Amino acid sequence: MEYNPLWALSIFLILIGVLWWFFQPNKGWFWQLKKQSRINEKIIIEDILKQLYHFETSSQKVDMKTLIQVLNYSNHKLLEALNVMGIKHLISNDLNAIKLTESGREYALRIVRVHRLYEKYLAEKTGFHKTEWHEMADSMEHHLSHEEADLLADQLGHPQFDPHGDPIPTRSGQIAEILGTELHLLPIGTVGHITHIEDEPEVIYKQILAENIHIGSLIRVIESNPTRVVFESEGEIFKLAPVVAANLTITLLSAEGDTQQDIARLSSLQKSEKGKIIGFSKEIRGENRRRLLDLGFVKGAMVDLDLVNPLGDPNAYAIKGTSIALRKEQADKILIEKIES
Amino acid sequence: MDKKNINHIIQLSKELRWQIGDDFHDHLTEGIYADAAQIVNDSVRLKNGKTTNRLDQKIDAIVTSKIWGFPIMFILLGLTLWLTIIGANYPSALLGHLLLDTVHPILKQGSEVIGLPFWLDGFLIDGVYLAVAWVVAVMLPPMAIFFPLFTLLEDFGYLPRVAFNLDHLFKKAGAHGKQALTMSMGFGCNAAGVVATRIIDSPRERLIAIITNNFSLCNGRWPTQILIATIFIGAVVPPLFSSLTALLAVIGIAVLGMFFMFASSWLLSKTVLKGEVSTFNLELPPYRPPRFWKTIYTSLIDRTLIVLWRAVVFAAPAGAVIWLISNIEINNLSIAFHLIQFFDDFGFLIGLNGVILLAYIVAIPANEIVIPTVLMLTVLVTGIDAGVGQGVLFELDSASATGAILREGGWTLLTAVNLMLFSLLHNPCSTTIYTIYKETNSVKWTTIATLYPILLGLAVTFLVAQFWRIF
Amino acid sequence: MKTGMTTTCETCPHYTSEGLKKMGVDADQADFVIALAGNPNTGKSTVFNALTGLRQHTGNWPGKTVAKAEGAFSYRGQKYKLVDLPGTYSLLSTSEDEEIARDFILFGQPTITIIVVDANRLERNLNLVLQILEITQNAILCLNLMDEAERNEIEIDVRTLSKDLGIPVIPTSARYKRGIPELLQAISEMANGQTQVQPHKIKRVPPNIEKAVNRLSKEIKKEFPGVPNSRWLAFRLLEGDPQIIQALKTGVFS
Repeated sequence: MEYNPLWALSIFLILIGVLWWFFQPNKGWFWQLKKQSRINEKIIIEDILKQLYHFETSSQKVDMKTLIQVLNYSNHKLLEALNVMGIKHLISNDLNAIKLTESGREYALRIVRVHRLYEKYLAEKTGFHKTEWHEMADSMEHHLSHEEADLLADQLGHPQFDPHGDPIPTRSGQIAEILGTELHLLPIGTVGHITHIEDEPEVIYKQILAENIHIGSLIRVIESNPTRVVFESEGEIFKLAPVVAANLTITLLSAEGDTQQDIARLSSLQKSEKGKIIGFSKEIRGENRRRLLDLGFVKGAMVDLDLVNPLGDPNAYAIKGTSIALRKEQADKILIEKIES
Repeated sequence: MDKKNINHIIQLSKELRWQIGDDFHDHLTEGIYADAAQIVNDSVRLKNGKTTNRLDQKIDAIVTSKIWGFPIMFILLGLTLWLTIIGANYPSALLGHLLLDTVHPILKQGSEVIGLPFWLDGFLIDGVYLAVAWVVAVMLPPMAIFFPLFTLLEDFGYLPRVAFNLDHLFKKAGAHGKQALTMSMGFGCNAAGVVATRIIDSPRERLIAIITNNFSLCNGRWPTQILIATIFIGAVVPPLFSSLTALLAVIGIAVLGMFFMFASSWLLSKTVLKGEVSTFNLELPPYRPPRFWKTIYTSLIDRTLIVLWRAVVFAAPAGAVIWLISNIEINNLSIAFHLIQFFDDFGFLIGLNGVILLAYIVAIPANEIVIPTVLMLTVLVTGIDAGVGQGVLFELDSASATGAILREGGWTLLTAVNLMLFSLLHNPCSTTIYTIYKETNSVKWTTIATLYPILLGLAVTFLVAQFWRIF
Repeated sequence: MKTGMTTTCETCPHYTSEGLKKMGVDADQADFVIALAGNPNTGKSTVFNALTGLRQHTGNWPGKTVAKAEGAFSYRGQKYKLVDLPGTYSLLSTSEDEEIARDFILFGQPTITIIVVDANRLERNLNLVLQILEITQNAILCLNLMDEAERNEIEIDVRTLSKDLGIPVIPTSARYKRGIPELLQAISEMANGQTQVQPHKIKRVPPNIEKAVNRLSKEIKKEFPGVPNSRWLAFRLLEGDPQIIQALKTGVFS
């Protein structure tokens, strides 16, 4: 074939197009095929068990219909899996309600343990963004054995909670307690900490993340009605729709605890002001958290704004005699009390 | 080999840990700092109540100010590069004269006197010695100027302020502000730039800095860019503007390199590197007057000589290979000739030619010898008499003579443009590849760092060639 | 701050760098092994160079020395091997530098660990110092950059500091070779067992952690009666440090 630049160019573009089609993130054929090939009976069973467990803890009844709604499998495959589960005594099927048996609950708890441990692992030891944790853990939960989960727990220092604030069951089935109320149910004026942020459904979770709301933050409810919930946290005002607010769990502070009205984020510190560190958001995790602690950003340390960046970010803060630059998203998550100087 | 049975202790530690809860590390560090505060309170007294130095604050206010911060930075970097390029000319010419024009003939004569066989003399003196001499002459002077200057700025404490000023730009590309410095170091030598990434203590950002360092045009590539731009690009415009145009073309290539650096950093941080841990902290140390002679001495030992040594180690075998392929013949034609023919079609497709591709393959060890290799191979293919033996690296004194040979070899403006692009976008030299492996300890990242730029280079030169021919 | 820093004594023959012979990298068959630890950017490498006569590059950058460097010197007829550890802020995290430093202090069993600190930023430096004092008994605090501290008008009561920490404290300005003779003297005395030390132990830990640590530490002592740092091992076990677990199993500490 005679060389022609137009031809060469077209062949090149077609080649790129085909490759993109196959390998584009998430939607590419390659990934779709890979995902499909992984689904087998074990995974369906484990997904059903997990759903049953979640319904059970929120004391809802489950029948075939609800399962079909939440799980993205064909009726045929679901029925087949339920059949096998019955034979293996993982579920008991009485009067339209599907229930977990003792061994089924144990199995489900293991899946939940692996899922939450793995999310904790992703949060502490890797750099994946938090919007990706859930999906990755969803696929990992089917592949880790008891022993591997234990190793993971050792490595993570036997955590009690996952990064969303859900308790991680121990191997023997112990679960740390969370006491809390969903945000939209709280009366005006209530003060408490955010102890749990639900990561499902994804649409709402992403909305919460976009608002820059952090787990562990102290909040005070200002307004609460069927159209919106308004609260104040760390010196800023947040407005949420009640559906979104329902995905935040708040643990109340005891009445005598000081409400710390003058909490502010380090990022709001001005050149003329002085601050005293009163805490760190739980959102600073893993290596980042350890580094900042090592650098002296500990409770009670005095801090002031040392250098303002010509581009606005990062700014340098003087702490314990040294100037250390922090990016805004870090300074957002360090809480201070402003002090008159 | 487990000698002790301490399972009960381990078990106890696990239970206790679970009971303590997730804040163990926080509490422990807070406890240590509380003790530290008490001790300091007992024994330290501040006379003026401030620990920070007034002069430091004044300097900082200037070098990080909105008005002066950036100009100071660009002036210092420009000055450093200018001193390097201008200052290196003379010693480079001197070294070149000494090693290539004086020592080389003496060696040749010596070998004649003791009667070395033709092949041993060619292999050792024309192959190994010439390549090494070339690398030393081109590489040593600029590095011996650039690194001490850079180190002086570093010792003074200015460089962390540069990272501070620029971090916002780098953050947008998913990188660390300190990459500005490893990148600048790459303008001197990519291998040194890769070593310098040690100052970035966040794993993800460090890998980004390592993989993208190759987009900084290094010392070995500046001369290629300048020469080709002078011969071909400068010739496009009237003689009055030719040197200015050539200069702008070279700067354009360097800026293009920065663009690719930012774009690649962004791409890497969003794809293959997104799972790596990312942290940020940047300490701004107090200024300290650098101690001039000591700095010069240590930077020569630490950076210049180590990098030079590695380059020499890699260049020697390359010289041998170059000599061998142009002197061993199959069917009356040298291996080099066969290889050039083999690469010629593909070379044409990406707007280059077989000679250039072969030169880049044999010159992987050091970019410095690309131009001499290209000239030698062009002479070999076209059969022009340049007054040197087969397989002997050489360079011509005047750019126009070089241009004449290259045009004889079929070079066009497109070849020149694509060579400049390819010189920017191709695999790192083997010294750098080896250094990347040493620093990352990972075959995976070394492979990515090697293949990514060359694939990018092939794609870019291909596209440029097709569009060039269409329009 | 005038202790031994200046004046006439520097010229008299008794000002004893005289017994010092810098031996560069020749570190074979040393009588004692000395580790050099400290935060980044405290002039640790300068101290190293002042003692060994080597010229490691000491950039004004946090975190310059990554691998550990070795050198040697002899003093009053005894030979010392000096190991320059990577500068770290802490030994509790998991970065590579910290592991190298931690492993050497713990398993390399140096005779003495010299901790170089920046006198201007004592508080932040003490974070590392207090951690090292949990691991090892024989440590000397080298209070470096005293010249800068003087310029910044910072006064440090060396005796109180020494009493609080329970180890010798030597003020130095390694850049100008000040305080090095005193440091050598202190090294020599401690290496030959003439120094009494009682390292500070971390006190302000929350009660629930303290209780857990005590329980664990008691168990460790039962199994390994000889270990001096059972408390620190307990801290590490609570962190689930796999290397420490392995070391305990293979009986490194017994």
